[in-house]
Amino acid sequence: MKQLTITHVVVASLTAVVLLVALDRAGELRGPRPGYVPLAKIAPAVVDPDKGKPPPHNDTVADLPDGKGRDTVFYACAACHGVAIIKAQGLTRDLWDASLDLMVSRHHMVPMKPEERTEVLDYLVEQFPPRRKGRSSENPFLK
Amino acid sequence: MLRSGTSKASRRNVLKGVGMATVVGASLPPFGVALAQGTAPAAAPKGPKFLEMDGKAKLVVLGDKPLVAETPSAMLDDDVTPIDKFFVRNNGLVPDAPADAKAWKIKIDGEVEKPLEITLGDLMSRFPNVSYKMMLECGGNGRAFFTPEARGNPWTNGGAGCAEWTGVRLADVLKAAGVKSSAVYTGQYGADPHLSGDATKPSISRGVPIAKAMEPHTLISFKMNGKDLPLIHGGPVRLIVPGWTGSTSTKWLTRIWVRDKEHDGPGMGGFSYRMAKTPIVPGSKGDEKDTVILEAMPVRSVITFPADGAKLAAGTRKLDLRGHAWAGESDIKTVDISTDYGVSWKPAKVDPPPNKYAWQRFTASVDLPAAGYYEVWAKATDSKGVTQPFVAGNWNPQGYGGNPINHIRVLVES
Repeated sequence: MKQLTITHVVVASLTAVVLLVALDRAGELRGPRPGYVPLAKIAPAVVDPDKGKPPPHNDTVADLPDGKGRDTVFYACAACHGVAIIKAQGLTRDLWDASLDLMVSRHHMVPMKPEERTEVLDYLVEQFPPRRKGRSSENPFLK
Repeated sequence: MLRSGTSKASRRNVLKGVGMATVVGASLPPFGVALAQGTAPAAAPKGPKFLEMDGKAKLVVLGDKPLVAETPSAMLDDDVTPIDKFFVRNNGLVPDAPADAKAWKIKIDGEVEKPLEITLGDLMSRFPNVSYKMMLECGGNGRAFFTPEARGNPWTNGGAGCAEWTGVRLADVLKAAGVKSSAVYTGQYGADPHLSGDATKPSISRGVPIAKAMEPHTLISFKMNGKDLPLIHGGPVRLIVPGWTGSTSTKWLTRIWVRDKEHDGPGMGGFSYRMAKTPIVPGSKGDEKDTVILEAMPVRSVITFPADGAKLAAGTRKLDLRGHAWAGESDIKTVDISTDYGVSWKPAKVDPPPNKYAWQRFTASVDLPAAGYYEVWAKATDSKGVTQPFVAGNWNPQGYGGNPINHIRVLVES
């Protein structure tokens, strides 16, 4: 039996190191390396504050029927609420007028200049007048 | 602060938008035809818009911002309304979900001996927990029945549901704080930001007389149908003031200010949650000084089976129907059914409520003598003898108290 010399140990150790480095470089010893991760993404996200919220909603001017004053109405009203609630109304001029008062007094709307208010009121009165016709007008069997 | 949820949600919306555009595109006529006819804008979709939201059924959307959605009558058939079918009414934006629900703080101050600030966790362990099946109903439920239209979200009968609410009695908490003899009313605040995004303005702040606040069914509630109260329903903690206008059941509860006078927060004045004292001409402006607060909700019945518009097989001569009836502070004594426009009435079987403030099941079997079109009407009468009118009466500018006789329309095919 040959004697184990320091030369043998050095050669074996170097071979093992070269082999391990080669395997490591070839990706055999580690999993896939993650790509670049921005710092913000690895910050601990304890809870998603939006979990359970309704999906975000944004209307555009085109969601209101075309007519004189449409843009003014959109930017005066849709800053706070969706246009669906506007379109669901069918009100007399008196009640539309009172509705604008309500938006200012109750819902923190910035008061409009008189000519702007008239433009908004004219549009609402023209587009969304009372239209309820009575209870038999939408019969499901008349389609 | 990292708001990964926002970007995720927006991406979802973008995807949805793309999907919708594809559908619209598919229905457009061929390119050349469209050019020849000019570019007419796409017509608004007919019929109701249905809610698309995780954890919620396809409710009828009345408004997107704030989100307001009602439950179709046929979806109100369960004895206890499941969370997914429960209506949604928001007045402001939905606040962020808390990282730790049990650390949520509620303040009790004003006309009390020892003002409290208590976490939800402490509240749950310090006071007895109780569960009741109770009605929650939007004050404007039935608004769509007014002619002419009244201002606001056009609810039919679907701004209502009966869930099992678990919580602690508000009375126990108020007693712990020591209500002074000067206490008259509560002023309630929630964490929902105003729609304008201005955090200094409450979106709504309503209240109730001390007697109602001390009523043993009035709860600070943190569980709905045995589950942690979902964010969209006011979680982690809200008030439940059963039988009264839903807006008094403050969502995302942060503060109860015990007042020495009627509360005057946003939603307490004007025509909000108020009925006209002197009957006014429908469609007119009215005088907001001549109004009185709507407290308990009126008597109402809803046929939940079959659905309005149901087609019944040829040869059907008998219809087994069912529904729910309830009345703010009262029990239901009778429900009567008519298939001949009120000429004759037949009593339905009415089950007792599991506890006060729960709705009551009614069932009936009616004859349909021949093929053709029928309206089936249901009229509830409460324990005080108060019944439902034929049409929504007492018109008021914001349309409260609309509770006409309920009806469905069915067709027996020939």
